[in-house]
Amino acid sequence: MPSSTCLRRFSQLSLDNASYAPIASRNLLTTPQASCFSTSRARYANPTARKGMVAPPKRGTKTLNVKKGKSAPGRDTGKRPAPGERKAMRKRIVLSNINALEVRTLKDLDKANVLSKNNEGQVLGLPNEVVDALRAVEAFKTTQGWSLFRRPATLYRKETTEVAELIKQVEEAGEGQKKTIRRVLIGDRMSGKSTLLLQALMMAFMRDWVVVNLPDAKDIVIAHTEYAPLPNSNPTQYTQDAYTAALLSQISKANEAVLQNLPVITNPTLPIALPSKSNLKQLADIGAANPEASWPIFNALWAELTKPGRPPLILAIDNLSHIMRHSAYLSADVKPIHAFDLTLISHFISHLSGQTSLPNGGLVLAATTNSNSPSSPAMEFSLEVAEKKRYGGEVPRWNPYKHVDERVTSVLRDVEVLKVGGLSKEEARCLLEYYAASGMVRGRVDEGYVGEKWSLAGMGNCGELERVAIRMRV
Amino acid sequence: MARGELSRGLRRAIDSLGLPRCERSIPVPRTIFRPTTARCLSTSISKHAELVSETPEKFTAAPPIDFDKQDGKERGKKALLRTLRVIPASPSYFSAKPTFTGDFINLSALLRKVATLPTIPAAEAPKVAWKTIDQYRIMVNEPVKTQRYHKMVHILRRLNCIHPSLMPEEVTQAMLRYKKASQPGDVKPKPGVIDEWGRAKGVGRRKTSSAVAWVVEGEGGVLINGKSLSNFFPRLHDRESAVWALKATQRLDKYNVWGLVTGGGVTGQAEALTLAVAKALLVHEPALKPALRRAGCVTRDPRKVERKKAGHVKARKMPTWVKR
Repeated sequence: MPSSTCLRRFSQLSLDNASYAPIASRNLLTTPQASCFSTSRARYANPTARKGMVAPPKRGTKTLNVKKGKSAPGRDTGKRPAPGERKAMRKRIVLSNINALEVRTLKDLDKANVLSKNNEGQVLGLPNEVVDALRAVEAFKTTQGWSLFRRPATLYRKETTEVAELIKQVEEAGEGQKKTIRRVLIGDRMSGKSTLLLQALMMAFMRDWVVVNLPDAKDIVIAHTEYAPLPNSNPTQYTQDAYTAALLSQISKANEAVLQNLPVITNPTLPIALPSKSNLKQLADIGAANPEASWPIFNALWAELTKPGRPPLILAIDNLSHIMRHSAYLSADVKPIHAFDLTLISHFISHLSGQTSLPNGGLVLAATTNSNSPSSPAMEFSLEVAEKKRYGGEVPRWNPYKHVDERVTSVLRDVEVLKVGGLSKEEARCLLEYYAASGMVRGRVDEGYVGEKWSLAGMGNCGELERVAIRMRV
Repeated sequence: MARGELSRGLRRAIDSLGLPRCERSIPVPRTIFRPTTARCLSTSISKHAELVSETPEKFTAAPPIDFDKQDGKERGKKALLRTLRVIPASPSYFSAKPTFTGDFINLSALLRKVATLPTIPAAEAPKVAWKTIDQYRIMVNEPVKTQRYHKMVHILRRLNCIHPSLMPEEVTQAMLRYKKASQPGDVKPKPGVIDEWGRAKGVGRRKTSSAVAWVVEGEGGVLINGKSLSNFFPRLHDRESAVWALKATQRLDKYNVWGLVTGGGVTGQAEALTLAVAKALLVHEPALKPALRRAGCVTRDPRKVERKKAGHVKARKMPTWVKR
């Protein structure tokens, strides 16, 4: 019986380089890539060696490899997300959390009670159809904590009641004296400006208004959508067909119930033929489907909506400071285009400045932001003046050595502001109790707890309160 | 005391020998405390300062011997001899350290005298800062050994433990000689006042930040440099630090705070505010001091950035060792 050494020698015979010496010297590539027919040797090579441990490097070899790029060692070979997947993930709006407890006592808002004063200081649920509509107009933001709760609900705070009051004023105005109320929402960072805007849109949806919402002004001006000069305009204005088409589709989707019942009564001259006896939803859908005709269709839709007998309108925009400066678009002679020269924005601005009014009454709302706002000194100054006029205090004066954007100051000259401040202790308590009922706050919600969180949240700053009570929980 | 007697006795002795009057040798204080060359930098100058301020006892010369003044009865040589007879005034005259030995003997005698008086535990006795050995050496101008001095301080401590209500005046006077000029508790900070608007002011420091806080009764609002707490401190931890004095005592919803902070970084500012708020709160409620001390809001944190040293990369980091 041959010894084991002998057998092993035999099995490795074919791998022995010495036997290929003559060819190997001429061409390395021709060396046969044979493998040993037994794998047991490698498997049992060193049973005592721990997993993950490798032998120490040879003396004199370079072991540190900090190369980047394709030849980098230990490169992550995992699958990359598909184009657009990351952004979709980032922008995903989650409105429900099945792990959160369902709040039994949560009442829903409805058309009758949405403007009632009795709602103040309560957390109330949003009905599903309104949630869908709000989602369609992109009123929910990723930074808001909707994903923490079972279903969307919102706190009716003092400022909400103020907005409800404005809506009521518009609705109750008699024929011939319809009001267009304009407000700019200002306030600290995370104080709930965008949420208040959402609440205003929610009320408008419930009261069967037509809602036109520009969800984020930044998207309009950062030159991510195509643009073209508007023919026969002087000074040159620029249309954004793709964006306008998307806006039309949003309008059509969100206001479906209202627009379906409104027939086209004028006879607009459009690049695309309109079927006879069509309604406004069809009109908007045609615009959404044909981006090249979207701007004329938007105009036609607007003309229809401002005809007498039509429902009131709400026009809203978030991130106001982005449109109060030059946009990222360039004109034909490579000059930056002022944001006011974009047709959609100039349309909005003409309503915000009060130059154009809404014949059927309505609300023009703009929310500023503090977390992602490019500096716009003229806007900041105008809003500060407006704030001091409204809430008292010494009206500041413009620094004469600074360049002033006249177009911005003229637009914001007589605009009114609505300051979104901190919650009162009662409101904070109500909110914390809702958190507790949803299972997000474990401790007892008592006077001391509410007072502490209220103080730590910077005197009831709404977003900070959420951070302090829920997100930063230790 | 002893020194005067000693010198008088000495004088008497010299005179009694009938030698021609010689210039009295003025005892020069031996330089016990030599300012050593500064070998290391020290920030604590207090020890040196208090030694410098220490002055040796006044040397009082003995009055000249009056040969004419004699008793009426005895006349002649015998009486004169009695006048001239050398009697050391102090029993410790012939010891090497007469003043110290005299002090020690006196204190021992005093303790023997008052030993039967009731005492209180040492922990409850009034806090006294006794002179350090160096101060005492300069005072008596004698090379007193540390151990001996410690023994004396032991006696003093025992004397200090006599029940305060029964403390004899004699003992109080005797102890006075060995006490430092300034005693703990002598310097009392001015008590804070609540002004006409109900504000109490507190000042706090940490690292290079300094904070002033005004605390008034209210409902929990905090404004720092005119901004709300959440605007001024984005980090939650810093917010909690700033109002920790109120939070730890469950007073957060009972006071309003206005703070002004300057200097330093965010954490330093927050912790400077802790101290300032705590001090202002103590003006409102002095009884909270133990609770605040437990919460760590009373003592100023003395830690600062350590200075960079020559030859080091940072305060302590050394340059990398390089082989030649």
